[in-house]
Amino acid sequence: MKVRIIVAAALALGLAVAASSASGGTVGLKASKSITVWLQTDASSSPDWLALTAATNAQFQKDHPGVSVNVQYQTWGSHLQKFDATLAGGNTPDVIEMGNTEMTKYMAAGAFQDLTADKASFPNSSTWLKGLAASGVYNGHTYGVPYYAGSRLITYRTDQFKAAGASTSPNSLTQFAAGLAKLNAKYGKTKGYSPLYIAGTDWYFALGFVYDYGGSIAQQISGKWKGTLESPKSLAGLTAYKAFFNVASRASKTTDEAHPNPYDVYAQGLAGSIEGPGWYTCCVGKAYTPVTSQFVMPSHTAGLVMPGFLGGSDLAVPIGADKSLGEDWIRDYTSTTAMKAQQAMGNIPNTTSLFNPSNVHEKAASRSWFVPTSKNWVNVENGNVLRTMLAQILTGKLSVKQAAQTADANITFTLNQ
Amino acid sequence: MTGTTSEVPDAAGALGSRRRRRTWGRTVPYWLILPVGVAMVAILAYPLYQLIVISFQKYGLFELIRHAGTWVGLDNYRSILHDPVFWDTLWRTIVFTVVNVGLTMLFGTLIALLLIRISAFMRILLTAGLMLVWAMPVVVAVQVWYWMTNFENGVLNYALTKLGVGDFFHHDWYITPTSQLGMVTSLIVWGAIPFIVVAVYAGLAQVPDELVEAAEIDGARPWRIFLDVTFPILKPIFLILTSLSIIWDFGVFTQPFLLIGESHVSTSNYLMGVYLYEEGYAKSDFGRGAAISVLMLLMVAGLSFFYVRKMVRMEDVA
Repeated sequence: MKVRIIVAAALALGLAVAASSASGGTVGLKASKSITVWLQTDASSSPDWLALTAATNAQFQKDHPGVSVNVQYQTWGSHLQKFDATLAGGNTPDVIEMGNTEMTKYMAAGAFQDLTADKASFPNSSTWLKGLAASGVYNGHTYGVPYYAGSRLITYRTDQFKAAGASTSPNSLTQFAAGLAKLNAKYGKTKGYSPLYIAGTDWYFALGFVYDYGGSIAQQISGKWKGTLESPKSLAGLTAYKAFFNVASRASKTTDEAHPNPYDVYAQGLAGSIEGPGWYTCCVGKAYTPVTSQFVMPSHTAGLVMPGFLGGSDLAVPIGADKSLGEDWIRDYTSTTAMKAQQAMGNIPNTTSLFNPSNVHEKAASRSWFVPTSKNWVNVENGNVLRTMLAQILTGKLSVKQAAQTADANITFTLNQ
Repeated sequence: MTGTTSEVPDAAGALGSRRRRRTWGRTVPYWLILPVGVAMVAILAYPLYQLIVISFQKYGLFELIRHAGTWVGLDNYRSILHDPVFWDTLWRTIVFTVVNVGLTMLFGTLIALLLIRISAFMRILLTAGLMLVWAMPVVVAVQVWYWMTNFENGVLNYALTKLGVGDFFHHDWYITPTSQLGMVTSLIVWGAIPFIVVAVYAGLAQVPDELVEAAEIDGARPWRIFLDVTFPILKPIFLILTSLSIIWDFGVFTQPFLLIGESHVSTSNYLMGVYLYEEGYAKSDFGRGAAISVLMLLMVAGLSFFYVRKMVRMEDVA
């Protein structure tokens, strides 16, 4: 019996030692030079983007022999919770991609290293895209380097639009809707076909209508936030969205733009067009790539484009990370060459020096809207307040006004917390 | 442990050594229990202590980065108990738990009753099927459920349409909070049935045949026999299974969060587990999250009380 106890104790001790030495090993590895980079899965969805990241790593390793780069792809839904855990555990990545709507909360809490002193050393920092660069600045200090902005476009089937006689450069929302009706008349017999596939709760698209009609999500009045979706102009936008959705889309009224991916619906031949980021052309399927093109979503006011969500990302160096290596990697990833590659993929580069006014992506960005600049905004986003409202409106569970009032109450409460 | 005393039959010499052995013999159980004790303190007691401490602190992202919260007394608890979302969620969770536990127990018992009436071959087949359900990881099960009920090309819509039940093409199974939670219920009940079946079936084997036969001779119908003979004998098992199911279903997180989906959980479909996650983690308000955990812990502890008491009583009887 004694022998057994001794063996058991030895085993337990051995396990404990093994466990501690295992964790010690990882720490040792980190010291022997390796940096961890967190990018979003968008960057792993297209081969061109993967190639750009690989080229950046190669360049970085050439400049820093012996330092390896560990790129980890994160999802938008869970990367902040994971980041919180690394902040608590003190094992933050050396570079992290942050959505521009997510920056304020983390800058305010002091999660990033101050890059202000080195700002001039980043490529094109004097011509950074203003709106995007602003999302990386807090109290006058720069914490985030603009990475790229997304243009939002209509990606469409040239063959179907031509055959149905729909305009491929609609001048107004009405003209676009008329074209979609023509597509529906010609192809609508196919079960599940959408002339323009819109995921019902895609708020990035839907809220464009609100801003197009002069409305907004929330406004700050003498220091206090107030939800403004129930204002007459916002209501007009939401009502127009509902009418447009019913003409254009047979997608689920409650789903989001990742279930399924709109380009998958398109690749299955079940959509005449899709709305979303410019890079959607990457993944429309081999059969349809030659018959795919893009145009800018028109406004209800003839001649204008609809305001698009100025979505984008920043790159930041979290506290506790290796600042100089992190900064160097960011410099390589935001170089002029890299930005040209971003532009070729359908993204808006972080510098206005590369802008080309005839480019459809930059044309789309000529009118844009952005979320309320409150550090609590990300909680409205995570609480799915806008998505819930859109689902209620489209399914008719609540009237447009009732749904907007409910959302407003929620937004006012959350932003002022 | 008796070995220690019988180990020394002829007490010729070493009295001291014998005494040493006796003390050793007496302390051995404590030494044996020590690793478990240490593990319990390390993985349960200390985190629980930390949780309670944090629940009395303002502990947001700012404090997380500095590894130090500020003491705010009962503020977190006060804000939660004044939050209408908390009360809505609590009632929704109670109704959800009652429905889920009720359905689980009902179907579990029915299948167990079926098991004792079928041939050995069918019994093995059915048991194997149930074991496969039990062995399925929750996340995988959620994914399969999601595929089957998918709006675009789910097999459920396809099958219902083909069977002529109606036109289920593009039927949305997740359109209202009730339907969302209904889908979650179907998944949870499906996953929980095997455990109930196995436990109730084992209990049914203990019901003496003579009692059932006697009741039959007295002219009792099957339902009466179940109610007056089988059920009283199985009562302790039902009580324990029900308490355990309540504890599991009350705090469930994985199924509702993954099946309803990250971009669809909202105050209108929160269950307690999801509410805790959203308030604590998604909003990085760890102090409030800890307070919600403590409240949930107290509620579950109240429920477990019945379970533990029953267990202790059964020990006494045995």
